[in-house]
Formats: sequence, C-alpha cells, structure tokens
Amino acid sequence: MIEKLLEPFQFPFMQDAMLAGAVVAAVCAVLSCYLVLKGWSLMGDAISHAVLPGIVIAYALGAPLALGAFFSGLFCAVSTGFIKANSRIKEDTVMGVVFTGLFAFGLVLFTKVKSDLHLDHILFGNILGIEPRDLKEMLWIGGGTLAIVLALRKDLLLFCFDPSHARTIGLRTNFLYYLLLSLLAATIVASLKAVGIILVIAMLVTPGCVGFLFADRFGPMLAIASVGAVFSAVAGVYVSFFINGSTAACIVLVQTLLFIVALLFAPKRGLLTRRTVPLATQGS
Amino acid sequence: MIDALLVPLHYEYMVKAILVSGLIGGVCAFLSCFVTLKGWSLMGDALSHSVVPGVAVAYIVGLPFAAGAFATGLVAALGMGLIKTKTALREDAVIGVVFTSFFALGLLLISLFPSSVDLRTIIFGNILGIADPDIWQIVIISAVTLGVLGLKWRDLLLFCFDPNQARALGLNVRLLHFLLLTLLSATAVAALQTVGACLVVAMLVTPGATAYLLTDRFSTMLKLAASMGVGTSLIGAYVSYFFDGSTGGCIVTLQSLLFVLALVFAPKHGLLAARALRRSLS
Repeated sequence: MIEKLLEPFQFPFMQDAMLAGAVVAAVCAVLSCYLVLKGWSLMGDAISHAVLPGIVIAYALGAPLALGAFFSGLFCAVSTGFIKANSRIKEDTVMGVVFTGLFAFGLVLFTKVKSDLHLDHILFGNILGIEPRDLKEMLWIGGGTLAIVLALRKDLLLFCFDPSHARTIGLRTNFLYYLLLSLLAATIVASLKAVGIILVIAMLVTPGCVGFLFADRFGPMLAIASVGAVFSAVAGVYVSFFINGSTAACIVLVQTLLFIVALLFAPKRGLLTRRTVPLATQGS
Repeated sequence: MIDALLVPLHYEYMVKAILVSGLIGGVCAFLSCFVTLKGWSLMGDALSHSVVPGVAVAYIVGLPFAAGAFATGLVAALGMGLIKTKTALREDAVIGVVFTSFFALGLLLISLFPSSVDLRTIIFGNILGIADPDIWQIVIISAVTLGVLGLKWRDLLLFCFDPNQARALGLNVRLLHFLLLTLLSATAVAALQTVGACLVVAMLVTPGATAYLLTDRFSTMLKLAASMGVGTSLIGAYVSYFFDGSTGGCIVTLQSLLFVLALVFAPKHGLLAARALRRSLS
C-alpha cells in the first residue's frame, strides 16, 4: 500500500515535474499577490495568450523561444496601454482586442511556418516531459524574477496599493509599471513549458486570492499564497500520476480546491466562519 | 488563376463552413456592441472558457453539445456573481479564478476520455468538419439570440449605458443583466464551433470596438459591427482553405486588421484625426 503511494516519487521524470511545478508555482504565487491587489488579473490572461506569435517568429528566426515570447508578451501590454491612452475604447475591450488579435496571428503563422513545435505543449505545457535544459532555464528566469520582486517588494506593494501615494513619496511609478509588466511576462515565459499559456492564468490569480482570503497583512498573504501554490503543484503532479489525467489541469484544480476551502473556512472572511458581512463588501 | 481561387467553393463542406461562420460572425458582432459598451469583455472571455467542461460532458454522455455548454456557462456566471457579492475580492480576480477552474476541469475531463472528445475541436473550433446536427444547434441559437436582441435591444442598450437610469425608468435591471449573460453564453457556445474557446472573445469584442471607433450613433454601430462580423467571417473561412484550416485564426486576424485600420484612420476618433485636431488647435 505504502509502496504504491510512494511509487510516483521513484521516477526521475516525476521528480523533475514536481520540482518544475513547485518552482513555477512559487514564482507565480508571489506575483499573483501583487496582481490581485492591482486588479491586473486580465493582464496575465492577455500577456499569456499574446506570447504565441513571438514563439513562432523566434522559431522561424532561430532565436531563443523564450526571448520571442517575452517580447511579444510585452508588446501586447505596451500596445494595450498606447491604444487605451489614445482612443476612447475602454481598457478591458482594448485588451480583449489586442490579445486575441495576437493569438490569432500566432495561430495563422503557426500553420504557415513548418516547425517541430507542438501546439499542445505551448498551450497546455508538457511538465512530464521536461528536459534538464528547460528546468535550468526555468530556475534561472524564476529565480531572477523572485529576487527582483523580493528586493523591491515594498515599492511594488505601494505601487499596487496606492499609485498616487507612491508617486508623492518619490517612487518612479512609470518604472515600476514597466518593471511589473516585464516580471509578469518573464514569469509567464518561465511557466510555459510546465503549465502552458492557458492555465498559467490560474497560477497567476488563484494563489493570490487564497492568500487574500486568509490573511489581513501582505507578508502572511505572500507566505500563504506561495505555500499553497507549491503544495498544489506537488499534489497536482502526484494525483495526475494515478488518475492518468492532464497534469496542468490537476495542479489548477488542487488550487481551486484550496480556494474553495479559503472561501468557506478562512478564519475571518470565510462564508461559514464569519458572523457579519465585512465592511469592504458593502461598498462595492 | 480564377479557377484556383474558386477551388474552395467546389467543396460542399467549405460552402457550409463559410455560411455557418458568416451567421455566427454576424450574431456575435451584433452582441459585441452591447458587450463593449457594458465593459464585459472579460466576461465574454470567461464564459467561453467556462463552457468547455459542459461541452466535454455532453460529448462523453452523448447529449447535444449546446445543452451542456450552456449549463456550465450559466453555473460559472452564477458562481462568479455569488463569490463577488460575498467576498472583498476584486471582480476581475473572481472571474479569473472561476473561469480557469472550469477550464481546467474541462481539460481534465478531456484528458480522461480522449476517445470521445477531441481537444483541438474545442480549443480551435472545427467548422470545416462540422456535423449537420451541430449546424442545426447553431442556427437555432442564432435565431433565438437575434430574435431576443431584436425585441429587447432598446432596453438592453439603456441597461448597458446607464443601469441607474434604466432602473429609474422601471426596467427590470436584474432580468436584463441575466438576459445579457444568457445571450452571451449562448453565442459563446455557437462561436466555440467556429473559432474555438481561445478566440471566441475576439468575435464578441472586436467588431463592436471597431464600430465604436467609426460612429457615434448606436444604430449605425450595430449595422457596421454586424456587417464587419459577417464579412470577416465569410472571407476568413474562405481564406482558411489556403491556410491548412486555421479558420478561427484567419477570421480573428482579419477582424484585428480592420480594428487597426479603424484605430488609425477613423474619421473622428482615429489616431490621425486626433493628431490633425491637436495641430489645428495649437
């Protein structure tokens, strides 16, 4: 019985998958806390889809795929900002137009450029077939992102929470804006090989929400989000071994379970544990 | 040369695909005017991903895909509404959590029953290989949607534009909200067949946004959006014959091109017009 339960840990590919999943989950979770506060959930959605044409073009040019993906994601964010500032269309609409346009363009390019890329792997990741080279790349990008976020965590937090206050006390909000966008794009690129561009959105939103429901202060929120996300990644990979289902989907669904638990049972804000409606919801 | 261009029209499946795409493109474009005014783009994206588990279950059990998709779309919408009113979380975060969860569930189901559902059909649509019963489902959905929109468009317009005014006039705002959600789910289901889950949101946003740049009157906006939706879908489906069948990609790329053109050259609200205005003022 116990042997059977420990079986997944004996395969090197499972160990790699759990490690990759945990790294990606931790980086995404840290970033998700900022995104949830800033209201940028849709931004993660947009950038992750917009990465596709960059990958195909980078492949055609023989450049590193991660580089193409990164710049194409940034292009989406920057052009969204430009169109929003220069036209009368609402931001959410602009984002919807831009990212779907880029994704569609990527699809058309993909059918025209003969490549050995697997569209399925780009969309849904291929965490069980991850190579040591990919793992190394993931660790570098993920580690770098994490280091920058943690080094500037106070500045970024103030920027997300209250940009005008951040500007008044002399922070360069423009710099922080582009920094956060770049970090987001880099994280998505790092997560691509593990969970793919569609489910990375979940990794960039759900942990932050779980942390938000459990904690009142940002430090604990970060800690809870990361621990929950790493647990979900390992548990998701583990479960997928037994039910033989899509690994990325299993990871996301474990995160969803955590979210439901937080929603119902979080000490102060849970639906079943609180007595009165919190002030914050009455206004909105 | 002309012969080569006419080749796609010799195949029955191509003609069918082109016509069905045009129909769906028109209906989605009609609705997109309301979606862009209301600021519900993220909702369209969310619903189109949330219907995936429903489609998967319907195919596995052997029900009409529209029924399953519609049901999960509505459950997702209700879930979002519930969580949003009960917690202090921002709306966009709630939508993000719910739709990715539904999508992941759909993905898991598909990976567990690979024989009954083809993942690619759901993600990219499969209009070139669409079966006749599926065409009928789409025609019915489109007819009902168009009928409801035709009857209720003034109320919906007011609701999108100014919900408080709508309430003050005695309109049932809650009902209109629910009605628009339902229409959105229904068209998302239909569009899923043509362009796939990832690109549905483009059909539900881009034509409306493009038309919004070109006119100040809502009735003109409706006409412009609908004709662009139909036109791009017909041409996109036709062109996709030469592009190995990425129908959704072709249609949405065309729609995006039109958007870029409108963004730059629109008579009053385009970038060039705005620049000329600034210059004449200074």
